Amino acid sequence: MQTAERRADKNKTKNEAWRDPHAEAYVRIENVTKRFGDFVAVNNVSLKIFKGEIFCLLGGSGCGKSTLLRMMAGFESLSSGAIYLDGQDMAGVPPYDRPVNMMFQSYALFPHMTVEKNIAFGLEQEKGLTRSDIATRVTDILEIVKLESFAARKPHQLSGGQRQRVALARSLVKRPKLLLLDEPLGALDKKLREATQFELINIQEQLGVTFIVVTHDQEESMTLASRIGVMNRGEIVQIGTPTEIYEFPQNKFVADFIGSVNMFEGTMIEDLPDHVRIKSDELGSTIYVDHGISAAPGAIVYTAIRPEKINILRTPPADTTENCVKGVVKEIAYMGDVSIYLVRIDTGKTIRVTLPNVERLSDDERIAWDETVWLSWHGSSPVVVTQ
Amino acid sequence: MRTAGARTGTRESPGRLGPIWTFLFRYGPPRWTEYVLNNWSGQRLVIAIPYAWLLLFFLVPFLIVLKISFAEFSPLGRPPYEPVFQWLDEGALQIKLLVGSYVYLFNEPLYVSAWIYSVKVAFFSTIFCLALGYPMAYAIARAPPTQRNIFLMLIILPFWTSFLLRVYAWIGLLKTDGVINNVLQYFGIIDAPLAMMNTSFAVYIGIVYSYLPFMILPLYSNLEKHDLTLLEAANDLGAGPVRSFMRVTLPLSMPGVVAGSLLVFIPAVGEYVIPSLLGRTDQLMVAKLLSDEFFLNRDWPRASAVAIAMLLLLVVPIMLFQHFQNKELQAAKR
Repeated sequence: MQTAERRADKNKTKNEAWRDPHAEAYVRIENVTKRFGDFVAVNNVSLKIFKGEIFCLLGGSGCGKSTLLRMMAGFESLSSGAIYLDGQDMAGVPPYDRPVNMMFQSYALFPHMTVEKNIAFGLEQEKGLTRSDIATRVTDILEIVKLESFAARKPHQLSGGQRQRVALARSLVKRPKLLLLDEPLGALDKKLREATQFELINIQEQLGVTFIVVTHDQEESMTLASRIGVMNRGEIVQIGTPTEIYEFPQNKFVADFIGSVNMFEGTMIEDLPDHVRIKSDELGSTIYVDHGISAAPGAIVYTAIRPEKINILRTPPADTTENCVKGVVKEIAYMGDVSIYLVRIDTGKTIRVTLPNVERLSDDERIAWDETVWLSWHGSSPVVVTQ
Repeated sequence: MRTAGARTGTRESPGRLGPIWTFLFRYGPPRWTEYVLNNWSGQRLVIAIPYAWLLLFFLVPFLIVLKISFAEFSPLGRPPYEPVFQWLDEGALQIKLLVGSYVYLFNEPLYVSAWIYSVKVAFFSTIFCLALGYPMAYAIARAPPTQRNIFLMLIILPFWTSFLLRVYAWIGLLKTDGVINNVLQYFGIIDAPLAMMNTSFAVYIGIVYSYLPFMILPLYSNLEKHDLTLLEAANDLGAGPVRSFMRVTLPLSMPGVVAGSLLVFIPAVGEYVIPSLLGRTDQLMVAKLLSDEFFLNRDWPRASAVAIAMLLLLVVPIMLFQHFQNKELQAAKR
């Protein structure tokens, strides 16, 4: 299948320009701050985004990601700092003069124009395009978003997913170098969202446009992005690939924000280059981590263990002194593909464990409420953060 | 609709409203009220009241005027027209319809020029109201919400004073020894006073001044509902402020423009007070002619014919207005 081949190719020659210290960034955001009166929406953000990336700004409500996007589009002025697009300083450049297009969260389709006219609107503002040029490009982009037969309809005659594709077509038809997307999949239902995610990636690869996506949905960012920038309270907290963000969070906020996590506060009792041991009162036992971490001696550290990396055992394992704890199953959530177990341990803390439902088990074979179980994990599973 | 029965009941068991009916009619409700209360849904009942009002105070008078317009003028009669419907001794009904009044209207140069003049004045007044009113409505719609209320109040404030007084005020401003002429002469801008009273110019000023709120309010109501992200989208796609206005704001404001224009045009055609006080004496508008025919000549048939003819003239604009109002309603439902 064509898309599978393309993704295999992509894996071979992956665009990892951010790893190259000499690579020229396409978008440079340097010390950008935005204040609304006393409220600081964006606090000294610096970012480099490279050509051909899908970069995701991920964060909760009010973290400043939409403000940052709007500043890139030209709808908000900067309180301080500078934004460079393709080497050009965008200070004072109005949105209609920027080589950037935006796809709005509400789609903002012109209600009094047909789909065709909506898409052609951007092209009509450009000089040097004849009527037939415009018509050809509109037809081409309609094919790409698979809306060929909807050209004569008006927005109110379309479903939510179709409107989303018209908005996408309208923003892509001008062949911008940079496309900004504000919560592009927010209004779609789950199945449509999944399908559209992959379509978006395909279209991006096909056209070679750089995407910057703003979203609060972690799944969306994990699927779409080549790199994610996690934002909190106007600041960038961590930048990395989805794997890096998920497996190697650099602080408590990122660890907790992405997916679920079990966090244990503790102090290091053994600090060696190839392993550490952490004593945690919250856990009630010792944590053995099989890699070295850099932390000040005696400092408080936080150990994060993902729910899927914990095993539930009905009989105690051989070694119960470290990376192991006993508990009672308090809640079970059956999600179909996985089951989530909330296990209360002796210290009173509740640990979240996710197990895939690999086999079809009968009720007595499955782990039940109020059953005493042992939780254990491998030494490579914990991630230790210091803040 | 038997559900009404519990409240209203029948003659035998009058139900909850029974005591009232019994008191009113002493022997229980008459059968037709029973029928209405038992068989008509509440919705129909509620509509029936304004419907009856409109029938009694609009349709019936209209039909009376229509009838008189076909009557023969009899100068000494009271009322001054021959009866249209007459019961003859043989028991036959005689109906006499004369179209002479209408024929006269469409042929008499005085009337024809008055029609044309009225429509012209109303048309250009509408254009001026639009030119002045659109920027004002736009400014109010884009102002911060707290200021908006103040601006709207300022627009409506003149309605708190009498319409007639406001037109008289314009006489004070426009007359030869009025405020405007005195000020201009004082500052040496003009040597001799400008003749502004009793001109078309004065009529335009009067109509535009009086009808401007009718243009501003529907326009504001439309503009205020606009989605401003549409303008951002237009900007993002390369359209500057002017282009965005022309291709997004203006088309979307058309229903407001039409509503405001018709709300100015339709009454302006039949405007009486302003041309009487401020207008020309050599070129009259239709309403003045109607008043003269009725009060001076006492020619009721001809006056009625003028009224009916004016209505026919305005039927098309009125239907347009209704059509656009319905479209707005449909659009608002979605």
